[in-house]
Amino acid sequence: MHNSSGANTGRVIEVESLAKAYRVFDKPEGLVASVKSLFHRPSRLVEALKGVSLTVGRGEFVALLGPNGAGKTTFLKLLSGIVTPTRGTARVLGHVPWERADDFRRRFALVMGQRNQLWWDLPAAESFRLHQEIYRIEPARFARTRDELVDLLGVGRLVLQPVRDLSLGERMKLELVAALLHEPEVLFLDEPTIGLDVVAQHTIHEFLRHVQAERRTTVMLTTHYMKDVAALCERVVVITHGDVLYDGSLAQIVDRFTTHKIVTLDLDEPPEPGRVERFGFPCEIRGPQVVLRIDRGRIADVLPEILRTAGVRDVSVEDVPLEEIVAGLFRAAPAPAERAVGAGA
Amino acid sequence: MGRYLSIFLTFARACLVRDMTFRANFLLECITSLGWMSMNLAFYSLVFQFTPEIGKGTGWTREPFFAFVATGLIINSIVQALFMPSAEELTEMVRTGGLDAVLVQPLDAQFLLSMHRVDFSSFANGLVGCGLLGWALARMEHAPSTAAWLLYPLLILCGVAILYSLVIMLAAATILLGRNQSLYDFWFYITNFSRYPAEIYAGPWGGPLRALCTFVIPILLVVNVPARVIAQPLEDGAWGLVALAVVAAVAALVISRLVFQTALARYRSASS
Amino acid sequence: MSGQPMTVAERLGPLAELATRLRIWWTMLAICLEERLAYRGDFILGTAMRFLPIVTQVFLWTAVFTATTRGDIAGYSRTDIVAYYLLTMVTRAFSSMPGLAGGIARSIRDGSIKKYLVQPVDYVSFLLAARIAHKLVYYAVAIIPFTAVFFVCRGYFPPVPDAATITAFTLSLVLSFLLGFFMEAMLGMLGFWFLEVSSIIFAYMLVQYLLSGHMFPLDMLAGVSTGIAGVSVADAVRWLPFEYTAYFPAAVWLGKIRGPDLVRSLAIEAAWVVVMAAACRLAWWRGTCRYSAFGG
Repeated sequence: MHNSSGANTGRVIEVESLAKAYRVFDKPEGLVASVKSLFHRPSRLVEALKGVSLTVGRGEFVALLGPNGAGKTTFLKLLSGIVTPTRGTARVLGHVPWERADDFRRRFALVMGQRNQLWWDLPAAESFRLHQEIYRIEPARFARTRDELVDLLGVGRLVLQPVRDLSLGERMKLELVAALLHEPEVLFLDEPTIGLDVVAQHTIHEFLRHVQAERRTTVMLTTHYMKDVAALCERVVVITHGDVLYDGSLAQIVDRFTTHKIVTLDLDEPPEPGRVERFGFPCEIRGPQVVLRIDRGRIADVLPEILRTAGVRDVSVEDVPLEEIVAGLFRAAPAPAERAVGAGA
Repeated sequence: MGRYLSIFLTFARACLVRDMTFRANFLLECITSLGWMSMNLAFYSLVFQFTPEIGKGTGWTREPFFAFVATGLIINSIVQALFMPSAEELTEMVRTGGLDAVLVQPLDAQFLLSMHRVDFSSFANGLVGCGLLGWALARMEHAPSTAAWLLYPLLILCGVAILYSLVIMLAAATILLGRNQSLYDFWFYITNFSRYPAEIYAGPWGGPLRALCTFVIPILLVVNVPARVIAQPLEDGAWGLVALAVVAAVAALVISRLVFQTALARYRSASS
Repeated sequence: MSGQPMTVAERLGPLAELATRLRIWWTMLAICLEERLAYRGDFILGTAMRFLPIVTQVFLWTAVFTATTRGDIAGYSRTDIVAYYLLTMVTRAFSSMPGLAGGIARSIRDGSIKKYLVQPVDYVSFLLAARIAHKLVYYAVAIIPFTAVFFVCRGYFPPVPDAATITAFTLSLVLSFLLGFFMEAMLGMLGFWFLEVSSIIFAYMLVQYLLSGHMFPLDMLAGVSTGIAGVSVADAVRWLPFEYTAYFPAAVWLGKIRGPDLVRSLAIEAAWVVVMAAACRLAWWRGTCRYSAFGG
């Protein structure tokens, strides 16, 4: 039973204990193993996703953050219906994604970084026209949307060139135009800024923010660049080894996952050994500049003491950089659960 | 329906434009296929120096046999032009994840995956086939009846449908198994059986083989039935074959579609 | 070398070098085998399936024989024809070099051939060694289906020929391997001069297909005249290298070529091997000179 007007309930994406496991065959090493592999191939069951549950409301902008192989792309593939899950349920806009109903597919869009979906041999303009036919977009509306999107991204002069002649950044922008031509209610982005230069990244960030705000599109984006996250989203879901490690606002990650702050001191002269240790843990000493890690609870006490000490010219207090926090999260997660199955060939 | 046709025409137009841009390459490909074909025709001419008929009493003397070959050329060129290019690209698509992009579009995946590319140079063989057919019919004593002329295009379509179903089955296997070099060899080896009239499969081994290739994998119905209709007098037995060809074509399309849908449902997708 | 006695290492010098070469070659062999086994499904199926076209050919010729009034066609009886096709498969297992010409042309085009210009490795010898390794692996694997098929079809074969014929047959096989190798290597090296060697390779394959005996026993061309009085196409083709890659060894085994004719043909085959090997070496030398002149 499909409730096609998911907007009414306000919950656009509902996921319950979604899991996906793959059987992977080990490649034999060496001659003896190769011969053995003729008769018996050892395989493992890899759990790409172990049971993820979450809910996303209309108009939210969610980032899925995680190291490579964490399961973020698998998660997107499940939600866009590309693969079927091993366990669990999900509904996007009221539809079960892997049933691949045409009605569903008309209402969302998927853009994958470094993997293009535009037709290689056609110039982008033709691809757009094809898109119009495939998605049954009404002509006047199509023209209006297309022109608006092309303007926003500044790709007007590129649309007549064959796609394969363009650079990665240019192609990405055209992909985004194509994806939004049918005004999807949900937009899935898989590492959209990977491999792009800073300017292109920035343009795309601006574009996504604008589009999302204006059309109240629900956006789910996977990335391992903190820059994307910081620029675009309030809500972050950290996925490691197939599990959700954290689901909440970006601001709170700092609070929740760090225990200290970074304090940088500029001294008159390089410190004597042992002199700075009483304030906190020194990470770096570069001549007269010292970088310390100081426990958050102690900051209120330590800071005044530092300021009273002679020879301190300047102090700056910062949060641990997001990258570091997140990297730390990735490292701290439990080891992946792989079951070695000596199944037959 | 009209939508699908219009989309197909867009694809076809794009491929034509591309072929015309790389004109030299296009001509080379035409010459390539014509080259192989000429070699085979030379071989057949040589064989007929030594025998008046392929198989005693089968009716496949020189001109009818060449009509048979011509029919094969026409059917194969249609399949090679319209469906094989897309099928060949499927391996790449599965490997690079391009298949993912196809699955999220609100369009029938089988249509997209089997028809988004057209190889116009393959039509060259088909055109020669038409010419060869004309030559053979002109020299034959037997002239096809009106019924035969009407049935011929229909049976060509049935042959194309059966081969198309085979392409789809191979595509389904590609999706399920991933890499598949030997699967295209598979294509060659299977269709190789249909190169000559079914009557050559006689005897203790030939009989069962013929039955297998007529009723189980109906590869022998592809060229044989239309060729027989146009090149040989229509006797009673032929109508049974015509009916069989039509039934086989429909069954093949249905079965291959089911298999293909199953393969898509089990699609694993390349790792991220 | 100032008059001192040679050390053990120096004395063993050339031997050590040979040992190194053998070791490299053994590794190549092992890797080839691994590669083959990696596609386990493919090779078991693939090797068996190579025989399928033969099945069709056999049925075709059987049908041809039923309608003909002659007892044999160009000296081949019904059973001879089947034996002929099976034997050409053996020859082609020796002489066919899939991917050789194309591979060389490609590495010239994309520049990866440069490393062979710089290293003290003789490219042609290296390729030859690699091919031998490939072939040995292929034989090891293909021996099973081949033996099975030959056993099932033993009724089609005439009695096993005498020792002299068998020797000639073996010799012709070895020569056909070398001939096939040097011809295709030569073709590949044309890539030093022509950008699009693929058209040339295609033309070669076409002529080969027709004139090698792959499609039909070349004796059948005895009735086709070349236009020169008394010289049939079959006679003319004897002087070209193509028939030695499929037809010749098969014909030898079946006793279609005997005595002085046999000796002459073997000599022609050997001569072609020498010619092609020399042409190969020349092409490599001239090609690399040209290549370095133009830069990669």
